[in-house]
Amino acid sequence: MSAFSVLTKKEFSQTVREFKIVWLPLVFILLGATQPIMMHYLPSILKSVGGMDGITIDPSVTQVSGAEVMASTIDAQFNQLGTIILVVSLMGVIQSEKANGMLSFILTRPVSTLSFVWSKVLSQFVFLAFCLSLGFLTSYGYATFLFSTVPWNEFLLSMLFYFVWLLFIVSFVVMVSTIFNSQGIIALIGIVFLFFCAVTAGLHPILALLSPAGMSLQAISLLATGTMNPQVGWSFFFTLLWIGITVGVTYFWIAKKKFQK
Amino acid sequence: MQLNYGWNDFNDIDWMAIIPILLPFILIAVVLILFALIDLYRNRHRRENVLMWTLIIILFNTIGPILYFILGRKDRRRT
Repeated sequence: MSAFSVLTKKEFSQTVREFKIVWLPLVFILLGATQPIMMHYLPSILKSVGGMDGITIDPSVTQVSGAEVMASTIDAQFNQLGTIILVVSLMGVIQSEKANGMLSFILTRPVSTLSFVWSKVLSQFVFLAFCLSLGFLTSYGYATFLFSTVPWNEFLLSMLFYFVWLLFIVSFVVMVSTIFNSQGIIALIGIVFLFFCAVTAGLHPILALLSPAGMSLQAISLLATGTMNPQVGWSFFFTLLWIGITVGVTYFWIAKKKFQK
Repeated sequence: MQLNYGWNDFNDIDWMAIIPILLPFILIAVVLILFALIDLYRNRHRRENVLMWTLIIILFNTIGPILYFILGRKDRRRT
């Protein structure tokens, strides 16, 4: 058995032992369900909270399609609370191994640094992609049930687009987790930078192209408009470039043993 | 907007329309809370601030159990 598969197995047993395998999927199912339910009850919530005097709710406003509901699920849930939960659940991924000396120990074995880094990034990515796809499926089910049917191909494509952004989140947090030693700082930098990416990507088309958050915007626009943006190929390319850079920095940092002070 | 609601207002709600939509949502939230509480109870001798975490898990819906699983599952330092 290669070092890569052994390390990947170890990552999975770690997720089982920390009960991540139970609570993260549940949390993402809840996130995926929140938005469609909230949008479904929005007219009645407005009626009971906002005071009815002088406000009439335009009946045509509430006619949103299921795909638009899914787009707003990504925008309002996965991109905000979802990102925070992802970063916080990932922040210890290398930092804890540095803290208990496991990292130095593993590197004394015949394990290449690259297979160590990739096993971390890929195993976390596969697990979180599983959680996110459960969230997407819940949102899909609720949107179809409460609003209108979401086309399968749009749903699958937007999920794949979002997974590219997820891969960047994972590789970025792994990089930050390698460089810094305090969990609080890791979470802070991760959350602030990822939100910064998401906000700047929405400002200008060029920024959206260069920013790694471009792929999440593409996923949202695909669901909201139903058409594929022609820039999606470039956005994909630049996000892969960003992922390459972050993995490269992680590799360099561990290979040069910068983590020991 | 009313500040206070009476018991009679419960009868005005169309429960049969709401329950099928909200039931899966509530069920999953309850499973999450129960899971956190069971884990806390099984390790109650080794954890710090058991009472505080119990209140957080129960009162802060969905975010409470998440916080517990991320931050609260640290054992007391051996002296």
